[in-house]
Amino acid sequence: MSALRRQWLWPIALAASTLIGLLAALIGEGGVWRSLCWVALGLPLATIAVCLLRLRNLPPSARQDPIDRL
Amino acid sequence: MTRRAVRAWVWVHRWSSLVCTLFALLLCLTGLPLIFKDELGPDLKLAATTAPPGSASVDSMVARALAARPGEVVPYLFYDREHPILKVPTAASMTDDPASFHYQVFDTRTGQQIEIPQPNEGFLYVMTRLHLDLFSGVPGTLFLGFMGLLLVVAIVSGVVLYGPFTRRLAFGVVRTDGSRWRTWLDLHNLLGIVTLAWFGVVSFTGVINTLAAPIELAWQANQLVEMAAQAKPAEIEGQRASTDAVLRDVRAAVPGMNVMTVAFPGTPFATPSHVAIFLTGNTPITSRILKPALADASTGQVVSVRDMPWYATALFMSQPLHFGDYGGLPLKIIWALLDAATIVVLISGLYLWWAKRPRRGGAVEAESSAS
Repeated sequence: MSALRRQWLWPIALAASTLIGLLAALIGEGGVWRSLCWVALGLPLATIAVCLLRLRNLPPSARQDPIDRL
Repeated sequence: MTRRAVRAWVWVHRWSSLVCTLFALLLCLTGLPLIFKDELGPDLKLAATTAPPGSASVDSMVARALAARPGEVVPYLFYDREHPILKVPTAASMTDDPASFHYQVFDTRTGQQIEIPQPNEGFLYVMTRLHLDLFSGVPGTLFLGFMGLLLVVAIVSGVVLYGPFTRRLAFGVVRTDGSRWRTWLDLHNLLGIVTLAWFGVVSFTGVINTLAAPIELAWQANQLVEMAAQAKPAEIEGQRASTDAVLRDVRAAVPGMNVMTVAFPGTPFATPSHVAIFLTGNTPITSRILKPALADASTGQVVSVRDMPWYATALFMSQPLHFGDYGGLPLKIIWALLDAATIVVLISGLYLWWAKRPRRGGAVEAESSAS
C-alpha cells in the first residue's frame, strides 16, 4: 500500500488540482475563482520546475534517494 | 501487472502514439500561437465614444457593405464576444463556403466602418487552418479528430504503464547516472504524468470539437425544421422586415442575452422564409452555449425560441476547455506552458522509440525496468 501511495499520491493530487482549476474559472464567477484556477493549474507547472531544479542541484550520488522529499 | 499485460500495454502505447505523433506535434505547435489569437490579432483602433454598443443601425451597415461589393449578398452577421464590432460578410450566394467570404467590419456604437485585414489570410489564419482541417475542409477535420482519438488512447495507455515503469522510483526522480535513454524515459514519464489531466482534457475536447460539422447537420435536419414548422411563414411577396426591427424583437423576447450571429433566409442555418438569430449568455459557460431564435422574414416577428439539443451543448461546453480563453491572460500563459511541456513529452516519446527500435539483425530489447 505504501509503495502504491508513494507512486500515485502526487499524480492523483495533480490531476485533481488540474480538474479543479479547469472548472473553477469556468463555473465560478468572479476574481476569487479565477485566482484559484491560476494557482490550481500552476501546481503541475511548479512540480515540473521543482523536479528539474532538484535534478540540477543534486550530486549524482544523491539522485537515487528512494524517499521522496518533495 | 503480469509481464504479458505490460507487454500488451507497451504495444498499444507505442503504436497509438507513433501513428498520431506527427499530427499531435503539428496540433501542439500550431495551437501555441492560437492561444494568443486575441493578443496577436489585428488592432481594431476603436474610437472613443459614449454611445452604447448596438446603438448604430445594422440595416445601414449592411447597405453600405453591399454598396461596396456590387452583385454580392450578405448571408450572415457576426458579432464579437469581446469588442463592440459587427463583422458583415459578403459572398456571391447565400450558400457559399465561408472560406470565400469577404468581410467588412463596423463599430456597433457609431456605425463607422473599421479598416482591418481580412480574417481569412495571414499567419494566424494559416495556423488556424492547419490546426482545424489541414486546409481540407470537413474530411481534414474528421481525420484530425481520429488522430486526437488515438492521442487519447496513447495518454490512457501511458498512465497504465506509469505504474510498472516507475515502481522502484520516488515520484519525480530523473536518473542521470545511467544511459541517456533512461534519463529521457524518466523525463517523459514525469512530464507525461504531471500534465496528464490537462493533456487528456484538451485532447478529448479537441476530438469533440471536430464533430462540429456532423452536429450542425443534425441540428439543421431536426431542430431547425421543427422550429420552422411552429409558425406558417407570412411570405408577403417582396417584403423584408428590417434587421434592426428583428433584433429589437428578439432582444425583447429573450432578455438578458447577447446576439452572436444572424443567419439570413436562404443560408444553411436559417430557412428560405425565416431569419435565424443565435444568442448567448454572459458567463464563461453560457457565453458559449448558443440559443437559436427564428423570426419571420416578412414581418420580423419572433416565431420560435428553443435551446440547442444536448449534443450541441456538449460541443459548446467543450470549446472553452479546449481554447483556455476563459481565465484571462494568466490562464493563456499557463495553457502555453502546459502545451510546451506536452511538446517535450511527444518529442521525447519519439526519441525513446527511435533509440530503442529493433535494428536489423539485433534482438528486440526487453523493457528491463518493467516486470
